[in-house]
Amino acid sequence: MNVHPGPTEEDLQTIAEQVWASYLDPDGSSPLILLPPEKPSREVSASVSMTGAWRGHVVIWTSATASRHAAAALLGVELEDVTVEDVTDGLGELANIIGGNVKSLVIGPTALSLPHVLISGESGYPQVVEVCKLAGIWRDEPITISVLQSAERAGRAG
Amino acid sequence: MRAMVIDDSRAMRLILKRIAGQLGFEVSEAANGREAIDQLAAMDTPPELALVDWNMPEMNGLEFVIAVRADPKYKQMTLMMVTTEGEQGQIVRALAAGAHEYVIKPFTPDAIVEKLALLGLVPNGAAA
Repeated sequence: MNVHPGPTEEDLQTIAEQVWASYLDPDGSSPLILLPPEKPSREVSASVSMTGAWRGHVVIWTSATASRHAAAALLGVELEDVTVEDVTDGLGELANIIGGNVKSLVIGPTALSLPHVLISGESGYPQVVEVCKLAGIWRDEPITISVLQSAERAGRAG
Repeated sequence: MRAMVIDDSRAMRLILKRIAGQLGFEVSEAANGREAIDQLAAMDTPPELALVDWNMPEMNGLEFVIAVRADPKYKQMTLMMVTTEGEQGQIVRALAAGAHEYVIKPFTPDAIVEKLALLGLVPNGAAA
């Protein structure tokens, strides 16, 4: 029997390092600093959901400024030129990449949804437990990545 | 040579277009498998390479690979999956369906270049 202990904070850190090195900070000048932000922000959320043997969500929460920085880095545009569509596309793709990598760490078969991005809105995930979380500061702005598992599934043995 | 980038994320299409463009490819793009199929149907000659995401609306990447492999007009096209779907089972499914190579996101430009060199589409030592 395969045992899937599930993703850990260390796993999330490894995934985040790869994402930053590939897209958000390829020259290493603006790394994600893993310190819990003094003022966590949920201004922008980007998430993907998983269904199947493992049910839950991977959510990125950022400040509006951090989301614009991310879109600018991904699209190679100046910060002042970033549009709402850029943020939606860029943050959505980051959620897709991080979620896809988390998916490979949970029990399968599991399907990944398309990303969902919410700007300046309250996002809620009822009946979940937080499996792991990575909180940090990037370009002086807060970013949190959470893996949330359906409470029903999380409550079951195995 | 020509390449088509198929991904529902504009940011990812831009990143892949930049890499392929720097390698000398003339690059077109599509936002999902259906759009790519429609574009291919309108071309006299298909591109030599398609870089294909998996999770897309309307027609996903695996469905696109299956559709392309079912049509002899496109038998010369090299298909490379570029996706977050990293489980071994998914990779096997894509390769069995007819994909030639598989790159897992996140990737560096060097990872794409290495795979294209393995496929003989760029010289060894090429840089993006």
